[in-house]
Amino acid sequence: MITDKIITVKICTGTLCHVMGGSELPELAYHLSESMKSKVEVKGMVCGQFCRDSSKKPPFVTINDVLMEQASIEKIIRYLEKAFCNDTK
Amino acid sequence: MITNDYFIEIAHKNLQKAGQEVCGDVFLSKKIYEEGRTISVLSDGLGSGIKANVLATLTASMALNFTIEHQPLERSSKAIKSTLPIDQDRKISYATFSIVDIEYDNETSIVEYGNPPFIVFRGTSPLKDIIKKDYKSDIKQCSFCAQREDRIILFSDGVSQSGIGRMEMPFGWEIEDIENFIADIIEKNPRISAEDLAKKIVNKAHTNDSLSAQDDISCIVIYFRKPRNLLICSGPPYKKEKDKLIADTIRFFDGNKIICGGTTAQIISRELGLEIETDLYAGDSQLPPLSFMKGIDLVTEGILTIGKVAECLESGEILSDKNPAGKIIKFILANDHIKFLIGTKINDAHQDPTLPVELEIRRNVIKKIAYILKEKYLKEVEIQFI
Repeated sequence: MITDKIITVKICTGTLCHVMGGSELPELAYHLSESMKSKVEVKGMVCGQFCRDSSKKPPFVTINDVLMEQASIEKIIRYLEKAFCNDTK
Repeated sequence: MITNDYFIEIAHKNLQKAGQEVCGDVFLSKKIYEEGRTISVLSDGLGSGIKANVLATLTASMALNFTIEHQPLERSSKAIKSTLPIDQDRKISYATFSIVDIEYDNETSIVEYGNPPFIVFRGTSPLKDIIKKDYKSDIKQCSFCAQREDRIILFSDGVSQSGIGRMEMPFGWEIEDIENFIADIIEKNPRISAEDLAKKIVNKAHTNDSLSAQDDISCIVIYFRKPRNLLICSGPPYKKEKDKLIADTIRFFDGNKIICGGTTAQIISRELGLEIETDLYAGDSQLPPLSFMKGIDLVTEGILTIGKVAECLESGEILSDKNPAGKIIKFILANDHIKFLIGTKINDAHQDPTLPVELEIRRNVIKKIAYILKEKYLKEVEIQFI
């Protein structure tokens, strides 16, 4: 058991995120390793309005309320691995 | 058409004769919005297949256009008869017609030539004494003022002659039996839609023919009923002060409610204190998933979903039950009066020319949907831009 913490990944389902690659992100739940599955919760959210800031690039997800731009399944998994790794140190 | 709180639901179901590619019965209907009139025409062409379809189309279009122009019946029928080509085998020119003309005040007149007699149901029993027959011209006519829960049922001889020659129905499906069949259905389900009733009658006639139609089978049901309302709300208002107005319109609306758009959903959620839940796996991957809010029938993404709705309504493409646009279309088709409450604020992020898809302006897509719903689906449509 690495950590008891639950990490919540919220995927923005807004228009812009969907067309910029966010439509693939719900697949994240199937790409999580067995150990991660019990500790990561994958949820959806209606447009988080992050796209209003033109300096930020969609698709967006929030991981425990921290915003990630240009999210992809690989990028989220790398982030989660790092988070779990830091937790064990 | 909604007049005095009525909605006139018109449904047409047909089935071509076994072995034919097209149906030889033709149904046309048109709403004249300026006059508040609704005109429906059924014509059965001589024989079956393409030839019958051409004759019936010709007859129905002429009958419809003459009626729109308020031409006297004698003139219309004379013109139709002299226009129809003479059949090479039978040496006659012939196609039947039934015309239903409903005025703005529900004053209804029906004219029928050559088709089986039409039936008018008031509640669960047929109105018999209103139909007058001119034996000289063989034209039946009737006029009456339609009331709520009245139904007008027209059918081609494929219905009344279904099952002909069978031991239990040697003369086919006789009018009295058809009336009893319909009365029984209405008694069991007094609110049955025109669509479902027409389907049941056609299916029964098909069964009478042992599932191999001996002639083209058509049935039209016109149902005067209480209108069913749908509110589709999409887009944030141009001025933020109007947020409350949108929320109140949704709260007090009597009918089905759909919200298209994340920002709009958030406005309603904030104003009405309702929580939004997004289920990533509700829907299919083509469109962003559905969200849920208490008291709202459907919450979807905005412009991509309504764009797909417009595309499918125009092309007639049928979407899966899981598809959010398919769900919106299902609601639209089940309702009579569709109100669009459309916020006109433009999302700047959607106007980026480097986007991989073109995101249209909401206002234009809604105008397109409204036009298709009026012209193709004969719905009552109201748009309010805010």
